[in-house]
Amino acid sequence: MTSTIDKLQAILRRDLLTAVRHRSGFVVTLVGVFFELAAFYFLSRAIGPGFRPGGVEYFPFLLVGTGLYTFFVMSAQAFLSSVQEAQQTGTLEVLMTTSTAPAELVILSSISAFARNLVNLAIYVFAGVAVFRASIQANFFSCALVLVFSLAIALALGIAAATLQVAFQKGSSVLWLLSSGLWLLSGTMFPTQSLPRPLEYVSRMVPFSYAIDGMRRALLEGQSPAAMSGTLAMLAAFALVLLPLALIALSLSLRRARQNGTLSYY
Amino acid sequence: MDAVVFQSVGKTFRHRPALFNWLGRERGGETIALKDVSFSAAPAEVLALLGPNGSGKTTTLKLISTMLLPDAGSVRVAGCDTRGDSGLVRRQVGIAIATERSFFPRLSARENLDFFAALDEVSRRERRERIAEVLSETGLEEQSDTLVMKFSSGMFQRLGIARALVKRPAVLLLDEPTRSMDAATTAHFWTTIRALAKQKTTILIATHNFAEATAVADRLLLLHRGELLADRRVLEHENADELRSFYFRMTGEIDEAALKI
Repeated sequence: MTSTIDKLQAILRRDLLTAVRHRSGFVVTLVGVFFELAAFYFLSRAIGPGFRPGGVEYFPFLLVGTGLYTFFVMSAQAFLSSVQEAQQTGTLEVLMTTSTAPAELVILSSISAFARNLVNLAIYVFAGVAVFRASIQANFFSCALVLVFSLAIALALGIAAATLQVAFQKGSSVLWLLSSGLWLLSGTMFPTQSLPRPLEYVSRMVPFSYAIDGMRRALLEGQSPAAMSGTLAMLAAFALVLLPLALIALSLSLRRARQNGTLSYY
Repeated sequence: MDAVVFQSVGKTFRHRPALFNWLGRERGGETIALKDVSFSAAPAEVLALLGPNGSGKTTTLKLISTMLLPDAGSVRVAGCDTRGDSGLVRRQVGIAIATERSFFPRLSARENLDFFAALDEVSRRERRERIAEVLSETGLEEQSDTLVMKFSSGMFQRLGIARALVKRPAVLLLDEPTRSMDAATTAHFWTTIRALAKQKTTILIATHNFAEATAVADRLLLLHRGELLADRRVLEHENADELRSFYFRMTGEIDEAALKI
């Protein structure tokens, strides 16, 4: 346990130092957040106060949807990029020869990628509330539960993208395709009930649509865990199935890459 | 017990053309990297792996490190099989590969070593002291706080060796370790290798440098097209020129440098 915490600290420190030393990175992120929120704020004003999807104002609806969607996709992207970079520099091969088991290494690395994007998500929501006056009515316990399950699901997505990168060197393309589909089907910008009936059914199989819906209900409507037990149960089920599956797939793809000598292919 | 045992090891790399590249000239095929190779290395022994490019030297090192898995036969490190007990093997093996840039560019040399030492489960208490030791052994003390993106090829190479040493491996694998090093650093490195062997570290060095092989190795493995052509001790007082003529005689390659003389 001590050793795992020590490894996690080493990975977090590496990523923090790398981020800090890309001097402009953090400032660019903050400016980007501001412009993005401004665009959504004026979009909601243009549409007018009459449009209240799910009974909430449109700007907070967008704030949660886009914030959480960006968190999912950017976290998976950040994690995938670190795998791609490690392949290109040859670091991946060396990492695979350390005393740390590949699966442990992958999970710890992904925690770091997700932690950074979690901070970005917090800044995004905070700026939306503080600067653009989005009205929230949070039930923090429900928010925390949705976030924990969402993290597990996002982790599975990141690991799946890394698996595809190791196996076929095509993680980015698949992630791009997947994120475009999720943008449409997860209710990021509009309620999934607006979709044609067949697509609406498909959206019910997309875990992110439950995460976004759950977070809206917890953060904007202040619903208790009991009131949203159905959504939480679905999120838990997705997390319990997807995370082990992604880990098994990654483990197999790494073994196959070591067998075929393709660990550093990119 | 032998530190490393190769038993009838075979390794083949299969190539498939990239998707849609059948329209171009790329064709599928396979490269036999190692064919029925068997040898062993005792604790504290230094083995030099010689052979032309593509003879299987790096593949041999990667198989021991678990970067690669064998197609046939078995590779064992201190009795642990690299397929079944890869975790135990990795705890005992340190490898410095020829890829220079396998570091995090925006971290300093010390920070890079600290990161890899943590993954290699070097305890936090021991780490600082151990990193200072390996930086000193590889002559990188003055550059320890420089970001590695500013490093030269030789410095990368020394840092790679420092990384391999930091966990005090029982088996040390070095792929062309002195390729980019200056003469003084190379001489110091050879002394370090002999000192490590005295401390019971088994060392395998893939090299094209005959002087290096005679200076540090107890035994030679000569590979050619994936086959083990020779496995013998380095003779007492054998010099680089004698080894060079042995190498060309065994491999059947033409020593153009000798022809010019």
